[in-house]
Order: sequence, then C-alpha cells, then structure tokens
Amino acid sequence: MPDRADIVSRLETVFQDTFDDPDLRIHDAMTAADLDDWDSLQHIVLVLAVERAFGVKLNPAEVGKLENVGKMVDLLLEKTARA
Amino acid sequence: MPLEAAQAAGITVMPATTPLKSALAEARVAALAGDHRHALALLLAAAAPEADYVDLVRLAKALDRIDLGACGLRKLRVALLASHTLEHFAPVLRLFLAQAGFDAAVSVAPFDTVAASVLQPGSALYRDRPDVVWLFATARDVPLAVAPGAGMAERDAAIEAAVAERRMLWHRLAEAAGCLVLDTLVELPAEDPFGNLAGAAPWGRRAMLRRYDAALAEAAPTGVVLFDLDHVAAVYGRRRWDDARWWFHSRHAFALDASGLVAHAASRLLAGARGLAKKCLVLDLDNTLWGGVIGDDGLTGIRLGSGADGEAFVAFQTHVRALKERGVILAACSKNDAETAAAVFRDHPDSVLRVEDFAAFVANWDNKADNLRDIARRLNIGLDALVFVDDNPMERDIVRRHLPEVAVVDLPEDPSGYVAALAAPGWFEPAAFSAEDAERSRYYADNAAREAVRARFVDMDAYLRSLEMVATVGGADPFHLPRMAQLIGKSNQFHLTGTRHGEAELAALAARDDVTLRHIRLADRFGDNGLIACLVLRRDGGDLLVDTWVMSCRVLGRSVEEFTAGLMRDVARAQGCTRIVGRYVRSAKNGLVADLYPRIGFTRTSETDWVLDLATRDTGWTTWVQLAPSSDTPHA
Repeated sequence: MPDRADIVSRLETVFQDTFDDPDLRIHDAMTAADLDDWDSLQHIVLVLAVERAFGVKLNPAEVGKLENVGKMVDLLLEKTARA
Repeated sequence: MPLEAAQAAGITVMPATTPLKSALAEARVAALAGDHRHALALLLAAAAPEADYVDLVRLAKALDRIDLGACGLRKLRVALLASHTLEHFAPVLRLFLAQAGFDAAVSVAPFDTVAASVLQPGSALYRDRPDVVWLFATARDVPLAVAPGAGMAERDAAIEAAVAERRMLWHRLAEAAGCLVLDTLVELPAEDPFGNLAGAAPWGRRAMLRRYDAALAEAAPTGVVLFDLDHVAAVYGRRRWDDARWWFHSRHAFALDASGLVAHAASRLLAGARGLAKKCLVLDLDNTLWGGVIGDDGLTGIRLGSGADGEAFVAFQTHVRALKERGVILAACSKNDAETAAAVFRDHPDSVLRVEDFAAFVANWDNKADNLRDIARRLNIGLDALVFVDDNPMERDIVRRHLPEVAVVDLPEDPSGYVAALAAPGWFEPAAFSAEDAERSRYYADNAAREAVRARFVDMDAYLRSLEMVATVGGADPFHLPRMAQLIGKSNQFHLTGTRHGEAELAALAARDDVTLRHIRLADRFGDNGLIACLVLRRDGGDLLVDTWVMSCRVLGRSVEEFTAGLMRDVARAQGCTRIVGRYVRSAKNGLVADLYPRIGFTRTSETDWVLDLATRDTGWTTWVQLAPSSDTPHA
C-alpha cells in the first residue's frame, strides 16, 4: 500500500507535467491561488492527469472538493487503499 | 477503446506519455533555437486524434510558443457558439487546425449565448469578424419533444420547427458576418428510457434525432457546411462519449478524451471547405496495390483477387478508384520497369485500377523523393498537395526526411488494414461535391494528351491554335458561385493577391454595384477544362481595381492570361473606367505570376501596384482563346 510520501512524490510529477514546470514543488496548503496557471480549465486537466497517473476515477463531488494539495493527497490515499 | 481499435485497424497511434515527453522537449529546444518549422513538425506528428485529452492539451500549450504565421500556415478566425462548455476544446481544435494547415484563432462565445450572439448585430461575435462560425449543437440543444405515440403530423411539425430555428440562424449569419457557417448533425444519445423502441418507434427520441439530422442535411444551403458529430460519436463509442460526470461538474457535453477525434474531423472538414485538402494520391505498386513483386513473381504469381490478402488488395484498389472518381488525382511511383508494372493494370483480370486512372505513371529506379518532385512538377501542383502511400517503411522515411511537405501514410503490415490507414487521416476530406470534382482527374489526363500533341509542334503558336480553345464567360450565378469560391480558396500559385473570399463573401460582393465578378470556363478539342479562372473587379472612381485574379495552373501559358486581360479591359470600359489597377502581393507560392502584370503591359507604380492606362492600349492582347457566343460579358 502506498504511503503518503509516495503519493506526494507521484503527485508532484503530475503537477510538474501539467503546469509544464520541472522545478515545481507541491505542499499540503497549496491552492489554485498559488499557481498562476491553475484556472478552472487547468483544474480539469489536473484531475484527468491525476486519474491517469493513479489509475482512479473521481466523481464530480470529489472533483469539486479538491481545492488544495493536502486534500488531494488524502483522497488519493483513500482511493488507492480501497483499490 | 478507440485507441486499441485504431491499432487493430493498423493505424499508428502515438502511445501516451514517453514519446510525447520527448517530442515536447525536442520541440521546446527547436522553438528556443528559432527553428519554428521543426518545432511545429514535431508537435503535429505527436498530435494523434485518439490521444487522450491531457496529452493533447500539453501539445496545444506547446503550440502557443510557435510562430505559426512564420511557418506558412494560413490565418483562420473561428468562433465557437454553444450551450455547453467548449473552453477546453478550443486549444485542441487550434492544434488540429494547425495540422490541417491553419494558423487559427479560436474564440468561444460566452456560455449559452448562441441566439443572442447571432441575433444582436453588434455582438462580440461580429466584431471579431470570424471566417468560420461553428454552431456546435448537441442532442441536448434539439428540443423535439413529442409524446410517446404521437402522430405523423405532430412529429413533422416538431422537426420542421427545430430546423426552422437553424435556418434562421444560418440566414442571420450569412447576412451579417458573410462567413462560412458550420452547423452540427447532432449525436444520438447512448441511453433512452424506451431502449430499443427509442429508435424503432417513429416518435422515439433516437428516431426523431435521426430524422432531424436528415432534415438538416436537406435544408442546408451553400455556405453552410454540416459537421457530422453523430458519426464521430459513433466512431468513438457512444457509451464512452456520454460522460455524464463532466456534464454535471462543468457542462462538458461529451467525454474530454473524445476532443481529439472531434477536433481532427472538424479541422479536416474546414481544410476541405477552404481548399487545403490534398489533391493527389501517389501510390507505390508492389505490395501496396498487389501482393508480391511483379518483376519477380510475374502476372500469375502476384496476389490480387483470390486468397485472403488478394481480396484485401482488391478492396484497397476499389477504395483508391472511388477516390479517383471523386476527384482525387492518382499517380504511381514505383521502383519497377515501367512496362512490366503497367502490364498488371492492363492484363490482370482482377485489377480494379487501369493505367488510364493514373494522371502520372512513374516507374524507374530513381529515388522516390526525386520522383515525387517530378510528379508534382508534371501535374503542376505543390508538393504539399501530395499524399504518399508505400508499404516500405524505408521509402516512407526517405520521403518524410527529404520532403516534409508531403503527407505520408503509414501502412500496416496487413493489407486488410490499408483502407482504414488511408482513410483515417482524412487528407482528402471534401466539404462539398460538385460535377467539377468528378471531372477533375479527367482534366489532368486530358492534359497529358495535350502534352503529347505539343511535343509534335515545334511552334508554340501553331500548337495553341490547334487546341481550338473556346472560353465561356459568366458571373456569380448560383451554379458557379460555390465553384468560384472553391477555386479562390485552393489557388496558391496563380493567385495575384492571396484573397480567400468564401461563398458568403462572394455573394455579398456580387450584390454590390461597384463590384464585377467573372468566371471563365475553357473547352478545347481534347475536352472541357471546366471552370479555370475567376476575377473580382471593383470600380473606384476612374479605376478598376483587380481585387482577385486566380487561374488554374492546368491552363497556364495557353494565352488565357491575355484573354483575361482583354476581358478586364471590356469590364473597365463598360464601367466607365480609364485605368486598370492590378496588385501583386507576393506569397511563398505565387512567384509564378510575379512578372504577369509587366508581361501584359502594366506599369509599376508602387511596391505592389501595377497600372494600365486604357488610353495607351488600343490594341488587344494576342490570344488563341475564342469567346463563346453564349458568354455573359459587358460590351464596350
């Protein structure tokens, strides 16, 4: 079962690819306000990229709740544990 | 999975992620180094219609860093109107429009403002002056609500009302924007409470939508092109297409991963409508049009007609022949002895294709890049009008390296996948079909006969006289208007000013009394060449301005240019003008006509302008083209 650090590291790669910035670092409190490019369209791209990278499917309610990185990690921990 | 289906059908699909990452990285380096063409080629090669949305968005973002104008792509302003979210789709559409040859600016009207945008004369839509307005409807936009068991009259009324709404939008757009209108044949939903009966009962939702799409196809006038979204949804798979979760989350009407397929199909259609479709299919012979090698296996040894793969080759030939009958020019390019290769088409009982189907037949031992250049030169078309098909990956690679303008089709190993591999990229997508298209390949074949006669004449004048050319001249009547727009759209070499008036724009110009539109048809003793030239002339005080002068290169150097000059003089006199002002706007491709104006007696007055003072030109121009008595021309 993947631990939190493992999820964070994989998620960081997804963020780097999605926002086209190999130096990007993520942290739990990070929100859309912290990244210029993180708009509603890019949020959808991010969700799809996360789904592809982690092999999970998120429902619309979950997609709407993912306002910061910490919550995203929590959700992915929960989803991958169940899988 | 369409990706797997595509692979099974033998279509090469870029696998996700790793090659994409390297393409993105290489393209970034090339763009930073200023090599925009190479960067563009890398991105476009990686843009597969079946790729998922995340990958396509990454490619689309990388495309933003490239100067598409500097790469020679044609500008196109596209406005999307919809009552579902399309902001995510716009960058993907721009990517595939680039693949189709456009430097596109794609705008999305505010959510759910379709009627308001179209009906308000001062709306942002009209201020942007779009070349194309896409009314991107889906089944959700078509009301068509009738009670289960409804009678015929009620059904017909519902459909007529829905179609009338579209008609009203088309009409307003044609009037106010003068642009190409792309409307949508809506998709059938995957699920319905009535199940099978939704399609089987005449009042069922699916039956009604089918009827609506058919009625739309019948109602669409010229200038309105219908995009078959239902076909794309079916190809993608209807169950996956209806991705309800993104509809509920953010009003996305179809699966995000279908964006590439939709954008690709629409881009090819717009390429066809704007004259950027490919013109000529260049085919290898051994193991492409039959199995085996004719030089080794002989007529009785090659596989064609019988046996599983023999039938697959016949199916491929049948598809190719249908393309030819639709107006695609065929050429053969094979490493072979010409006589041995031609014998298959002449003597093999199962060969669908005949030698006469090929406008150019090149069989020799030279390299194929040189042969393709030779074919383009002989047919008088650009290298970017060619699509090359060869079973040999090495030959494909050589052509890709040496002639990046030529489109190359990757054939799978198995010939049963050839038809799908050739059809899927949509290189020859037509937006409309006219009698002219069906005749086109004959025009090129007739030209070959003319060349043969010409070889017998030492004296060019005697040759031209022997052609017995007769021109019929007319204006923008309903029959010729779409053909004139088509010729203006696709002409690159003989196009003095580079204008791209579409049908709606031409119709608007035709209605003005200071503008004269003329088309020229040419026949000679070898046959009818069809519509070969077109003029847009505008009166400005005492000057007649040549806004547009295009001519088909098929008739180049046959004194049609001089005939046309005489025609312009007649129009100028009838309009009371004393001077003709021509313009030559240099493009990457129209070097051919750089000296046209001086050649016919015009004097340069500025960087682009050339003037002919009618008072100084008493004599006409020497031409071997006779004016047909039925012509509609002004008399001075």
